[in-house]
Amino acid sequence: MLLRRYHQGGDTGAREELIQRHLPLVRSLARRYAGRGEALEDIEQVGAIGLIKAIDRFELERDVSLATYATPNVVGEIKRHFRDKGWAIRVPRALQELNASMSGAIERLTGKLGRSPSIAEIADELKTTPEEVLEAMEVGSAYSTVSLSSGPGGEEELDPLETIGDEDVEFERSEHRAALEPALGRLAPREREILRMRFEEGLPQTQIAYRIGLSQMHVSRLIRKSLSSMREELLRTPPGTSH
Amino acid sequence: MTEHQERIDLDAPLSGDFQAVVRLIIGGIAERVDFAFEEIDDLQLAVERLLAEAGQIGSVHLSFEVGEDSIRTRVGPLSERAIAEALHDGEVQPGHLTLRRILQTVVDSFGVEKSADGRVVVRLEKLKGVP
Repeated sequence: MLLRRYHQGGDTGAREELIQRHLPLVRSLARRYAGRGEALEDIEQVGAIGLIKAIDRFELERDVSLATYATPNVVGEIKRHFRDKGWAIRVPRALQELNASMSGAIERLTGKLGRSPSIAEIADELKTTPEEVLEAMEVGSAYSTVSLSSGPGGEEELDPLETIGDEDVEFERSEHRAALEPALGRLAPREREILRMRFEEGLPQTQIAYRIGLSQMHVSRLIRKSLSSMREELLRTPPGTSH
Repeated sequence: MTEHQERIDLDAPLSGDFQAVVRLIIGGIAERVDFAFEEIDDLQLAVERLLAEAGQIGSVHLSFEVGEDSIRTRVGPLSERAIAEALHDGEVQPGHLTLRRILQTVVDSFGVEKSADGRVVVRLEKLKGVP
């Protein structure tokens, strides 16, 4: 048995043979991730690294085949690769490219029209459909949104109307939790300034983008991401410790 | 403000996986009213912040009433914290950023309502072409 020869006898030839025998499995798994902005050969190479790790880590006492053990390792390695590249795993290349060209189109149209363009205008500029533009808007903007309610103390099962009647006590706590100032201080200066301009000065994204020297889409993403990370920060801060 | 002629109702899971789907649907509805890119982004942000208050378990109901140049959105039921914040009409101190301040910035008006089944929802009104 090849695995025994490798792990007990140190036979590197057996290791090589195991790799060769299981490469069709790697190719099969890699094909699932084709067409997402990476060459199939590159995905196969990444998957092969997962296979080699599985072979090296395999424990002989395990009551599973190498193929069964290796599959999650190969898939995990491929997914990690896509994550590291910064793209969500299921984003088709055409949408990635459309997303990349949207920023420029929005800047051009904003300059030309003197206002934020509509989706139809962006679609027309990029010779695509409004639906494709909307989908592309979501590409690259994914991040986890954290709920304030899921924080310490959890979601209380209170009747909201009762709570309204009980405003004084409840509101004080709510206001404390909702005042994002402490979390604001932990943001990077640029993000802090963007939030200040948007929510204190009331500037539109187009003007903020112009002042900061970023695209409007980038400003939008930074605002959303900053608000979410501030919520995350609040969840980590027990009430009464942030002021 | 125009009369709202069309209505779309949606029950969405609160799991984070579906937030992008909700954003996409809002984008599709707002595109029909010919909202600008930035106006769509504002409405998406308002709903996203409210959904963050609704927790991550179960589902939330969203309704969209579409007029010629406006969208009225209702989101609920929401947690008591979100409602308390949305109700509060005091001045927000400089340097503080509350849900109320965010909503004031990104939608034209908002309020708290009791729905037909007795639950509390937040209503958002977003108009087209209002700077």
